[in-house]
Amino acid sequence: MTELDPVIHAQARLRVVASLSALGDGDMIAFPRLQELLAMTAGNLSVHLRKLEDAGYVEVSKTHRGRTPATLIRLSRRGRLAFEEYTEAIRTLLDPTPTKEQS
Amino acid sequence: MHPDDDPPPADAATALQLIRKQRGATARRLDPDARLLYWPWGVAWLVGFGLFFLRFSPGERELLRLPSWLPLTVLFALLLAAAAVQGAARERAHDQVTGDSARRGRWYGCAWGLGSVSVYAGLVRISEHLPHDLAALLWSATAAGLIGALQMAGAAIWLDRPLFGLGVWISVINLVGTIAGPGWHALVVAVAGSGGILVAGALARRRQRERHQP
Repeated sequence: MTELDPVIHAQARLRVVASLSALGDGDMIAFPRLQELLAMTAGNLSVHLRKLEDAGYVEVSKTHRGRTPATLIRLSRRGRLAFEEYTEAIRTLLDPTPTKEQS
Repeated sequence: MHPDDDPPPADAATALQLIRKQRGATARRLDPDARLLYWPWGVAWLVGFGLFFLRFSPGERELLRLPSWLPLTVLFALLLAAAAVQGAARERAHDQVTGDSARRGRWYGCAWGLGSVSVYAGLVRISEHLPHDLAALLWSATAAGLIGALQMAGAAIWLDRPLFGLGVWISVINLVGTIAGPGWHALVVAVAGSGGILVAGALARRRQRERHQP
């Protein structure tokens, strides 16, 4: 079996990455909105984001909106690539028709 | 293996379903309903320009007895309402999302606002010297021309086919209406213009649904 990326091959983190992948390429989403989209607790989401950030898949930036601090999140290029590769690997597992060269 | 408490999906099928479901759900929430972006404008054009045609009909006739201030007031009120509905729908969908999309939207909005003000300022100076029917034609033809051009330009930014089609359609019917002359222009815009907007809204909504399919 193909080796699946262990960072993404986990239910909650896969949901986080899939959700972030639906954003436009140059877009970022604030933590509370992402939390609402995923229906996760703040603590839970923080833990998963930290792991994704450590892997270089997610970029987290702290900024200010007026006077209130805001945390903005986006998928990094590396994260987007990893997600695409993961999705491709899953598809290949489900439909292993040898469209490419046979090995 | 997995030291944290986030277990892997049961199998590949579950993983793929999870990806589709989550991407679809997110896209649905971040995309404002296309019907709210188009249809209120269609209704505004239909009713507003429809009243214009009935009150200021071709050949200086009056098909429907209405106070002369009514058509313009109704049109403006409905256009403001459409802008408010559109703004609210966008605001709700794009809440707490920043970056390139937001900047595109802001600049495009700026093109509409500032572009309209700078074009209409000239019309105000000119139209006071024109007879009423020609002034009305100048206003609605210029407005429709500007709207069609901005829609095509907007479609180029987002590669949005229904919006591009609408821009082309509005530009063409504006040309037809202008050639037809005062009074008729309002009828063409009310019927073909609003019809185009309603159809474009339906097409945009269908495209959106396809995109959101899990």
